[in-house]
Amino acid sequence: MQWLLFGPELYFFLAVVVFTIMAMRPASDSRHEYFTALVLAALGMVVCLAGVRSDGVLFSGTYRVDLYSQVFKTMLSMGLFLVVCICTNLGGVNRKFHSEFYLLLFTSTLAMMMLVSAVHLLTIYVALELSSYSLYILVALQRRQETGLEATLKYFLVGVCASAAMLFGLAVLYGSVKAVYLSELVQVLPTVIDRPLVVIGLLLSLGGFFFKLAVFPFHFWAPDVYQGAPNQVAAFIASASKVAAVAILMRFVAVGSGGSTYLAQVLVVLAIVSMTVGNLAAVAQKDFNRLMAYSSIAHAGYVLIGILCMDAAGYAATIFYALSLMLMKFTCFLVLVMVAGNGGSLQIDQLAGLHRRSPLLAMALMLALFGLAGIPPTIGFTGKLLVFIAAMQQGYFTLVLIAMINVVISLYYYMLVIKAAYLLEPPNDLPALSVSPPVKLLTGTLVTAMVVIGVFPTYVIELARAAARFII
Amino acid sequence: MPTAYADFPYLTAILLNCVIGLLVILFIPGARQTAIKWVSAVCSGIALILSTYLFFAYDKSLGGLQFAEKLSWVPSLGITYFNAADGFSLPMLLLTGIVFFTAVLTMWELEYRVKEFFALTFLLVSGVFGLFMSFDLFFIFIWYDVSLFPMYLLIAVWGSTRKEYGAMKLTLYLLAGSALILPGMIYLTVQSGLNTFNLVTLMQPGLFTPFQQKFAFLLFYIGFGILAGVWPFHTWSPVGHVAAPTGVSMIHAGVLMKIGAFGILRIGMFLCPQGWQYWAQLMALLAAVGIVYGALVGLKQTDLKFVIGYSSVSHMGIVGLGLATVTVDGLNGAVFQMFAHGIMTALLFSSVGYIYDRTHTRMIGELGGLSRIMPVASGYFIIAALTGIGVPFLASFWGELLVFISSFRVYPVRGAMAVAALVISALFMLRVVQKAFYGPRNEKFAQLSDITLVLGIPRIILVAVIVIFGIYPSLMFDMIDTASIPFVNGLP
Repeated sequence: MQWLLFGPELYFFLAVVVFTIMAMRPASDSRHEYFTALVLAALGMVVCLAGVRSDGVLFSGTYRVDLYSQVFKTMLSMGLFLVVCICTNLGGVNRKFHSEFYLLLFTSTLAMMMLVSAVHLLTIYVALELSSYSLYILVALQRRQETGLEATLKYFLVGVCASAAMLFGLAVLYGSVKAVYLSELVQVLPTVIDRPLVVIGLLLSLGGFFFKLAVFPFHFWAPDVYQGAPNQVAAFIASASKVAAVAILMRFVAVGSGGSTYLAQVLVVLAIVSMTVGNLAAVAQKDFNRLMAYSSIAHAGYVLIGILCMDAAGYAATIFYALSLMLMKFTCFLVLVMVAGNGGSLQIDQLAGLHRRSPLLAMALMLALFGLAGIPPTIGFTGKLLVFIAAMQQGYFTLVLIAMINVVISLYYYMLVIKAAYLLEPPNDLPALSVSPPVKLLTGTLVTAMVVIGVFPTYVIELARAAARFII
Repeated sequence: MPTAYADFPYLTAILLNCVIGLLVILFIPGARQTAIKWVSAVCSGIALILSTYLFFAYDKSLGGLQFAEKLSWVPSLGITYFNAADGFSLPMLLLTGIVFFTAVLTMWELEYRVKEFFALTFLLVSGVFGLFMSFDLFFIFIWYDVSLFPMYLLIAVWGSTRKEYGAMKLTLYLLAGSALILPGMIYLTVQSGLNTFNLVTLMQPGLFTPFQQKFAFLLFYIGFGILAGVWPFHTWSPVGHVAAPTGVSMIHAGVLMKIGAFGILRIGMFLCPQGWQYWAQLMALLAAVGIVYGALVGLKQTDLKFVIGYSSVSHMGIVGLGLATVTVDGLNGAVFQMFAHGIMTALLFSSVGYIYDRTHTRMIGELGGLSRIMPVASGYFIIAALTGIGVPFLASFWGELLVFISSFRVYPVRGAMAVAALVISALFMLRVVQKAFYGPRNEKFAQLSDITLVLGIPRIILVAVIVIFGIYPSLMFDMIDTASIPFVNGLP
């Protein structure tokens, strides 16, 4: 019976096996693979939902299944399903690698699921690496050599450096407290947290998660990867992978939260710098993919605000914010993939005339961007409000004020995108975009979800609060 | 505060009416322009009828909050859906209803991207209605932003004269205001320790220390003050007004700027009465400077819309001065002036819009002698201009009179400055009227037809409202009294 706890992971592992077999067969119809992936991803969501209430410990205490991890697993499977939905036109990936593409998407999701459940330093590290390596290869699948290669190399090099830092940090941490289980660390850390070695170890270990989340100073890879990777992969990195990063970062910070304000101060600085750097750099972007990357960096800063509160309200707010981020980012990428068509990155100018070519997509883009900027009545505003309330309860008034100023800066570049979609006319008359009914349905659902959860967030907030209780 | 619950959710009905109108418009094909316009007219008409009904159905002898509706929204955060109307909000609701309806009628001749225009207008107006009726900080902020962000597209797509610059400047300025308001709201909510966003609960005296009140009031004053066109945060306003299309200018100058003043009143002054009294000196100073500055800069303008834009800054200064007096008369005058100015600017923009559509110029020098060609259209403008000057028996007169009387008592110098500025503004309005509408007939425009009766309907409504409240101001003052007297008497 205990293996049922591992159900979602087993399911995704089986899906990986299916794609391994498919990859070995001679090339078949690409729709075949697409539908297989779609069905498997949809079933994966069901499996995760079914296991959302399970609770227990596996593998001699290294793996913890609780509401916290299961909520994140559900979000991850949702993210995967959404990304698979927009894979009908994999223009950026060589035809013969389509099976491998799905294989790696599922592997990466599996690894992230293990990441959110891992409570042992080594398990965390291994899961993190597995998800990262899958993503490195996914980025490398980009058909256009020059940008793809640069993106891959940058991603890989920064990623390896972050991993090295993290491993070193974990070693230092172990060396100073002699504990590898998070449950042990929770008890030991508060007594020794003011020792320099412990602080260094903790911060270096966080480096790996900061890399995933694209927090300053581990953010350099983001713009190039978002631009150079196939758009679907960029969407996956922007949505699902961020969710996993938030989950594990929060679990780790919760462990180190007792007894000292050291960690919080460092996080405050990183949050402010991330927000400001991300937003200021985004202002100058002409490429929509790069703009999304810088906005991701900025949002990593907002996420940190929730995490650094280090209390139940802050964690709950962060969970809510992660969900909102996933929905809004994905919606932007959905529009991006539809408009870009050929799989390359999208210039903001190419959005010109979108309001005429597809009013639905234009509206979805506008809502998602206003959501990212934190304008009500969208889910993005509610997420920010929760984060700010949590921060204010801890007395971080200045931090909230700085974050709000950043919101105004970010609004400027989001509005430039909206201007392109609603105001500019393309130089030569472009035909209306053909958006298939399923995609229309998906877009409509996303728009509804963003507004409805934004205006009526009670159930999601209650779920997030319940989940957050498990890591205190 | 006495609260009477409604047997029928009138206030929600106004909101739902706007939202349903929005949805219906979204599902009508864009080519069927007439259908869209009729839906807009009907829905805005219903909103006007409902808000007028509420204005007269309010029981003045009872006072307090009436037509209240309460619904727990997010219990864990203390957010409630709490709508109610009192003597401050009912004039604003009535104003919104009138301006909304007349703006839709004014835009009847629009042909470019009609569907999106009316959809965005409906979104904007639902935000405005929601803000005036809400008593929950969370919802007030939501409505505040909902009423702002459609402005960007409304100005940038349908506007004129540096429209993209004007739109971006306006949106960024106003949302920068919200960057101060939201921290202020969260600050007070958290400091109260009550875990509630309910305005009435947070209003109980003694909940916040004097320091907290002073601090939060400053945030609200600047945040909302940007939208209210308080000098020196007003620079977005003339630019934005000029760039916006006629209907949007009407709603914007007529209603949206009132949101700013109303926000200072409803949130700043209600929650932080001591902060209000502490900063009143500063408010009065900025208001007086704004009045003088608006009048003086207005003197130099050559574009009719810029003239109106700067006169708005000046007139909103009068509202600010009234609020700064901390007296019943000042409050009454300020709220009355908010209402009167809203109607008056709507009429000004509406008539300029018609003239601009025909002559394709708003330059005062080029118009010359227009009243010989379009006597009726010019007439509307002249009536509105006279209202602005404060001619007796036109609505603005009473508001300005009360504000000046009360400000003379409290701040003699600043009051005198304001009155002097009013004389200047009278001078410049008359100069504009003389140059643009009298003088030799301009043969270039000789072929243009005057405004027809049907097209004139929105202007006739506005003129009628100005005259009614000019002759019978106690209709409004009795209403405002029900809120202002208990409020000022209850001050610590």
